[in-house]
Amino acid sequence: MSCENVQELIFLLLDGKVSAEERENVLAHTGVCRECGTHLESAQMQRVLLRRMAQTPVPDALAAKLRVMASHARERQLARVSVRVRARRLAANINLMFDNLMRPVALPLTGGLLSTLLLFGLMMPSLSFSHQTGDHDFSTVPRGKIVSTPWEEGVDEDAVDFPLFASLDEPKSDYVNIVNLTIDESGRVVDWSIVRGQLTDEIKSIIVLGHFEPATTFGVPTSGTIQVRQSLPPCKYTRCSATVHG
Amino acid sequence: MATSILDLSAQRAVESADSDDLRLVESLRTGAAQAYEELLGRFQQPVYALALRLLDDPSESSDVVQEVFLKVFRNIGSFRGQSSLKTWIYRITVNEAHNARRWFFRHRRREVELDSDPEEARNWKDVIPDGCLSPFDVAFEREQHVMIEAALEKLTPIFREAVVLRDITDMSYEEIAGVLGVSLGTVKSRILRGREALRAELVGSLKDRPAPRLVPKTAE
Repeated sequence: MSCENVQELIFLLLDGKVSAEERENVLAHTGVCRECGTHLESAQMQRVLLRRMAQTPVPDALAAKLRVMASHARERQLARVSVRVRARRLAANINLMFDNLMRPVALPLTGGLLSTLLLFGLMMPSLSFSHQTGDHDFSTVPRGKIVSTPWEEGVDEDAVDFPLFASLDEPKSDYVNIVNLTIDESGRVVDWSIVRGQLTDEIKSIIVLGHFEPATTFGVPTSGTIQVRQSLPPCKYTRCSATVHG
Repeated sequence: MATSILDLSAQRAVESADSDDLRLVESLRTGAAQAYEELLGRFQQPVYALALRLLDDPSESSDVVQEVFLKVFRNIGSFRGQSSLKTWIYRITVNEAHNARRWFFRHRRREVELDSDPEEARNWKDVIPDGCLSPFDVAFEREQHVMIEAALEKLTPIFREAVVLRDITDMSYEEIAGVLGVSLGTVKSRILRGREALRAELVGSLKDRPAPRLVPKTAE
């Protein structure tokens, strides 16, 4: 067997792909031929070195990614065979999507709310007012009122023998003439409308000569409506009540 | 007689591996958690080693391994068992590595690596010395690895595939034929020529290196 033939068979010999007879011949030849012996040794060494390279460890990051992929693949596989898993996966996806949508909003929203509360809390002592709750400037008067009429200065409910400002709950059937007066924020009559009856001279006198106090909202004068009601004698002219618009 | 007994035991081993594969595939189809664990446990390391030796680029190999397992997970339902699971997965790996190599040559040849020294990017657990090998042995093995890798890189891809599958992943000639989709004779030829080319490269690289010149000097 020539050296060329032996060297061709050396790798096949290492793979166990030669017959017993060829194996004997090759080993016998390499025992006596120095060059072929070196060739066999180098082939064996090459094989060993290559085999060692199989032990390359998988990087941790790759192993972790593969596990995540396997987990997702398993979920997909389960979703194919089970409706319950599919529904759960869908719900989880929706939940995740909602979370992802809310995440950019949640932090600014919470931060803004907390900082607003904090700043408002810090500013609260400096916002205290000197007046009391019952102060006229700070109170809301939903209804304007008649301060005086042509016949009386400084109308006072106690000074007359019937209530000047009647409650709106009182039945309207007791009155013959009812007129709504629109009072602006300066206390002037800007409009009137007849609800029932007619515009009598007494009511005209109230409109022209009466003094009115406008309605207020948190102490700020605003327009409102005063209802003037006139009954038949013995009541001379007014039984009034007021409502406020706006 | 002895040969026939060996043949029988080899045949039994093949049958056992086939039944294991079918059981594993069936478990994967039902979504059993252990099956996914087993699949990764059996194949992630050899597939990574194969991809790394075919591409010689750790980051590219990681991408290829992920692609391989993605395809395996997606197509496990269509696996009919016509080849062994190992052959099927390795065939996907070789094809993916081939695609990656082509893509690399088209797009990334001129890219410059921005990563720092790979030694610095390693986990601290890998850096701490364990004292198993002496510094000389470590340096010697690393030198050998570098030489082999450089020699492998110079091989024609089709020879490299054959040599890597045979000598690194330890596949049989028949399995390699199944993975590469070529005849047994072609596999033998490619392995032989690949090994010879590798040996020639290694010998050449050793010859090119200048021998250390030690000059004796008397201490003054």
